[in-house]
Amino acid sequence: MRPKSYVPYVFLMPNLLIFSVFIVFPALFGIVYSFHKYDGLNPMEFVGFRNYASLLQSREFWEVMRRTFVYVVTAVPLIFAGALLIAMMLVQEIRGRGLFRAVYYWPVMISFIIVGLTWKWILGDSFGVVNYLLERIGLEPVKWLSDPTYAKLSVILATLWSRIGFYMVIFIAGLQSIPQDYYEAARIDGANRIRTFFNITLPLLKPTSLLVLILSVIEAFKQYPLMMALTGGGPGKATTNIVQYIYQTGFIKMQLGMASAMSVVLFVIIAVFTVFQFRLTRGGAIE
Amino acid sequence: MDNKKGRILGILLLAVMLVFGLAACGGGSGKGGNASDGSRQSEGDGGGSGNTGASDDSGSGNTGGKQVTLDFVWFTDGIEGEVMKAIIKDYEAENPNVKINLVEVAYSDLSTKLRTMIAGGRPPALARVTDTGYYKNQALPLDDYIGDQEAFTSQFMDSIKPYYVMDGKVIAVPMDVTANGLIYNKTLFDKAGVQVPQSPDEVWTWDEFKDALKQVMEKGGAKFGLVWDFTPHRYSTLLYQFGGSIFNADGTAAAINDDAGVKALEYFVQLHKDGIIPESVWLGGENPNNLFRTGTVAAHLAGNWMLSNYREITEFEWGVTYMPKAERRSSVPGGKYVMAFKGSGVEDEAAKFLLYLSSKEVNGRYCQESLFISPRKDNAQLDYAFGKEMFEIFSNELANTPAEAANDWSRQELITQFTTDMRNQIVEAVAGNMTPQKAMDQLAALINAIIANTN
Repeated sequence: MRPKSYVPYVFLMPNLLIFSVFIVFPALFGIVYSFHKYDGLNPMEFVGFRNYASLLQSREFWEVMRRTFVYVVTAVPLIFAGALLIAMMLVQEIRGRGLFRAVYYWPVMISFIIVGLTWKWILGDSFGVVNYLLERIGLEPVKWLSDPTYAKLSVILATLWSRIGFYMVIFIAGLQSIPQDYYEAARIDGANRIRTFFNITLPLLKPTSLLVLILSVIEAFKQYPLMMALTGGGPGKATTNIVQYIYQTGFIKMQLGMASAMSVVLFVIIAVFTVFQFRLTRGGAIE
Repeated sequence: MDNKKGRILGILLLAVMLVFGLAACGGGSGKGGNASDGSRQSEGDGGGSGNTGASDDSGSGNTGGKQVTLDFVWFTDGIEGEVMKAIIKDYEAENPNVKINLVEVAYSDLSTKLRTMIAGGRPPALARVTDTGYYKNQALPLDDYIGDQEAFTSQFMDSIKPYYVMDGKVIAVPMDVTANGLIYNKTLFDKAGVQVPQSPDEVWTWDEFKDALKQVMEKGGAKFGLVWDFTPHRYSTLLYQFGGSIFNADGTAAAINDDAGVKALEYFVQLHKDGIIPESVWLGGENPNNLFRTGTVAAHLAGNWMLSNYREITEFEWGVTYMPKAERRSSVPGGKYVMAFKGSGVEDEAAKFLLYLSSKEVNGRYCQESLFISPRKDNAQLDYAFGKEMFEIFSNELANTPAEAANDWSRQELITQFTTDMRNQIVEAVAGNMTPQKAMDQLAALINAIIANTN
């Protein structure tokens, strides 16, 4: 006899309940807030689509969006390539493999705030370690955190350092699930390494790649604590991304309605992105 | 068989969910009931962790008042938390029916915590706040408790009145006032042979101060002349010294882009260009306190709250001196207040405790032991255990501060909406992306839009 059809749902219940109470309902409230003028304290005032209308016209909002986008399209490919490269090196039988894996994974276990502070000590303009060394060998100190371009680079660098290990682990799992027969066959056929990579590894890794891409894109869009600790979003607004901007609007300017509207827009953008990636890769199916 | 197993598991899970659900509901309704009947007496320690009120109710026979617990939301910068705990202990001894529960939060979490409590219908009895204007609709008006308003407010410094008297009502009591001021590295100044002003008559002009800093950098070996806290509040010190202000007198329009406002920013930018102020603070987010502590910075424009922080420095000698003047002298007053909230159910007891806190004796003890400046006129000369002469300089700075400073900064409901933008506009000018005129024009347009939107 087949089990009753409700049983799976009962198993889902605990998570569903927690997910609803702490994620779904607050998100729905957020949508409601986005149609109101609300400072979190005094009564809400219904304003219809006014928040969205002023968002569409706000040059600053779209500037922040653009900046976030640039960060995402810079950081994600680098994370992807870096994690894949390291994973490929560390699936091979090399000495000290476990140690290397641990070393690359180590930064993942450190919270973003600490990562930011650590890099701040390394790159700090006046009293950072790097500039101290540069000056020691007679070079000009670099404005790692107070020049907009260098500050963006520093943020990317810290992002890579802290995240590559995580995606490396996913890639290692993906790589290990590729049957060795394919590689043997390729070797017998005389395929070189590059050919093997593009014709065997990459296609068979597609489900893993999709997962890494989606996760890293969403994560990059939402990145905030790292910048907060490393540059504070500065110099000026050079490294202020969308989530920090939403936080400032909601909790410093106390415009919760407007901040909610921004969150809704961000949600739509990330959703569109994810669906697009899914479609483009046919859900990670291997053809 | 499978079916049976599945069903048993299902029922088991449902039972677990139900138990959790009920527990959650039970907790919720219990709390809700307490809040809705308008009194939180006998609630135990306020944490609500199963501590019933039984123990509170017992032993209250000796006084007439009912047994109450006041939740007091508090944040601590230095040592004042310990001082407040001692004061509370004394108060509880005098008033056995009152228990005060100090709920300590980090300053950065304060406003979120308070808003959540208020929005959730369970405001605390009391809270230590800095942005009084933000809570003016939720604060308990104290006029029924203080007697004559004029007599009450005249006990405190006149300049801070707009912070705690709003819409004609007293909504909080001042606990301490802060003054922006100049802390300098005495070791470096001595090494360079530069003497700081010894009395208010010898106050430097900004150009003289700049020359002095240059000398300390050249002869004293300072790496940088001056670090300046990365906040609009500290920046505004220069604005007032140059004769400017953020708003016009009645707060109906921005004034920050007038001649004085632009000149102040031009000067600030020039100080960066000349290498006297390191760009790493305003552009790179480096912590000025840490820079000053390295002993390679000649001076720090901060405020009196830094005294207890720098007290432990042993590597070099430091002191406080008068800030330079431009068109006029100015500091910027700030302060911390304690507020009672409407709807806590214990308003009378909370108000009574507020009056106790603001009395000459208790406030004097609080400020003296915490190394704070008292807002009470009759506590102007406190017997501090440390840095007495430094406090006199800060008091002198406050006494020479024009009314514009308090007028601007007491408009908290407006200012919080543009502090981030103000900081960013200054940064744009310092970074050279914008002329000071343009940066301030844009800021003024934004301020005017906020004023129009708020009123």
